[in-house]
Amino acid sequence: MLNDNPDVVLRTVGLAKRYRRLRALADLNLEVCRGQVFGFLGPNGAGKTTTIALMLGLIAPTAGHVEMFGLDTRRHLSGALRRTGAILETPSLYPHLSGRDNLRVWGALSGGVEGKRVDEALDLVGLRGRGRDKVRTYSLGMKQRLGLAAALLHDPELLVLDEPTNGLDPAGIREVRELISGLGQIGRTVFVSSHLLSEVEQMCDHVGIVKEGRLLTQGSVATLLRRGEVLEMRVTEPDRAAQLLGSLAWVNRVRRDHDRLLVEAPRERAAELSRALAEHQIYLSELRPRDSSLEEFFLQVTGKEAVQWSA
Amino acid sequence: MVSMRAWPTSAMLAAELLKVRSRWMPYALLLLMVAGAAILIWLGGYGSWVEERNDPEFGYGQESLRTFALPWSLTGLLDSGQFWGAILVGILVASAVATEHGWGTVRQALSRGQTRSQYLTAKLLGIAIAAAITLLLAFGVGVGFSVIATALADRPITLDVPGGPSVPDVALMVLRAGYGIMPYALLAFCLAVVGRSTTLGVVGILFFMFVEAIVLGILGEQSGWAADARAFFPGHNVQALLAANRIGSLGGNSLAPRDAALADLPDPGIAALVLAAYCAGFLAIAFVIFQRRDINA
Repeated sequence: MLNDNPDVVLRTVGLAKRYRRLRALADLNLEVCRGQVFGFLGPNGAGKTTTIALMLGLIAPTAGHVEMFGLDTRRHLSGALRRTGAILETPSLYPHLSGRDNLRVWGALSGGVEGKRVDEALDLVGLRGRGRDKVRTYSLGMKQRLGLAAALLHDPELLVLDEPTNGLDPAGIREVRELISGLGQIGRTVFVSSHLLSEVEQMCDHVGIVKEGRLLTQGSVATLLRRGEVLEMRVTEPDRAAQLLGSLAWVNRVRRDHDRLLVEAPRERAAELSRALAEHQIYLSELRPRDSSLEEFFLQVTGKEAVQWSA
Repeated sequence: MVSMRAWPTSAMLAAELLKVRSRWMPYALLLLMVAGAAILIWLGGYGSWVEERNDPEFGYGQESLRTFALPWSLTGLLDSGQFWGAILVGILVASAVATEHGWGTVRQALSRGQTRSQYLTAKLLGIAIAAAITLLLAFGVGVGFSVIATALADRPITLDVPGGPSVPDVALMVLRAGYGIMPYALLAFCLAVVGRSTTLGVVGILFFMFVEAIVLGILGEQSGWAADARAFFPGHNVQALLAANRIGSLGGNSLAPRDAALADLPDPGIAALVLAAYCAGFLAIAFVIFQRRDINA
């Protein structure tokens, strides 16, 4: 059934891909709304590139389908892709052509763009001065930037970017990050896959986390970070305290870190937590909220935490 | 926002032409074909004629004369051009198709809204136009060599000889030779699309031509159904087409290692149909497989 919410730009419905016995993606249901900068996070091999290839119609799904701009891409792939710009993993460019000629080729394949727009795109990624040089002389970072220019060339409504900062130096990463954030601010929709959590945290307002072909969670970054809030404490009887706190309904998990306890619970319930301990003659010597990052949340949901959690 | 006009197939074709003309291969193809024309006209034709023209043992160099002098030289140039052109265009086609997979640009192209059929069609047309221009240029240079050599031999530069072609006939001769290239170029195209490999396309076409020549040679020694089976091979039908390019009853030299026998060749019209069937088959395989496969690289 087609989605009739005009704000949903990209939607996957039960999307699955299997290569013989290998499950690359299973039952992926995503929604990306207009103006969102959506980070698609996952460890290497999680299914991020497979998802993007399925969105772009490069591979056929085993089950499910993709909708873009409310169009079912099984029937309207070309129409949807003309409104989309994409970068796939490594930059795909013609090494025997200049940067400018590469953009002319991609512009022609996108329905034709004017020469002025080619110059603007080169300017945007800081390659105007090297536009006439053959791409084979470019560094990886320059190729990545040219790939980004190619994706932006026809001013698409939706950008699908697979690891767009690969190969860039720190300054280049910051430029791309600012560029992507800026696109979100002018109402463009960006779907960006990455395994670099800090990068996604800085430029995305929404995030989906995928692991082993399954979507573990999705939502706004702010909401997900609240779910990952941690209270750090030192108590008189850590083992008994961990057992007690683990039994509370609003405590997600408790972790022992040397003489400290890390309690995954909403910050506003710190007083209740303190009272619960005191009622069992366990006393706090220290209690403070620990700054939560997307990285911590990611490690929690993908089960990659270094220390054991007890529920 | 860029306005989305009717999907411009001509823009895709222009992009393909930009890609092809920026490669070195068409220029190498031109150079090799011009070198072949020079060898045929100057070494195989004019040079031999200078040595043989007063020697009755060599028929006063009449065969050499037909190799370089107009209008007979057209037959030899087109015959050689078909054989070597098929190989060189096959290499160009295989490379142009398969390197897009190697560079990953096929994925980028398909993610910009053109359909897979449009992509392959534009690629095929782009290469065909580049190859046609290159081969016609080489043919033009060859004809230029022939005009100079004919003048040096103090022969009239004319098409008006017994059995000589008119200008439209020359155009038809060129079309026949070009048509003879197509099945082999499309075989290379098909193999490169299916295997995503330049090597497979190039080796495949060379292997096919080599084995076909051997099999046709063996079948030609037989009689009955075995000899008749040659009618199903593209090489035999190409030879039938090129035989129609002969001027008068006598042939000239050619750089193509082809059986000179003209007996048992199919009618050129039938030959054209058989070759069309091969072309359609190779195209169908390439398009169907490309349409259905996952493009992972």
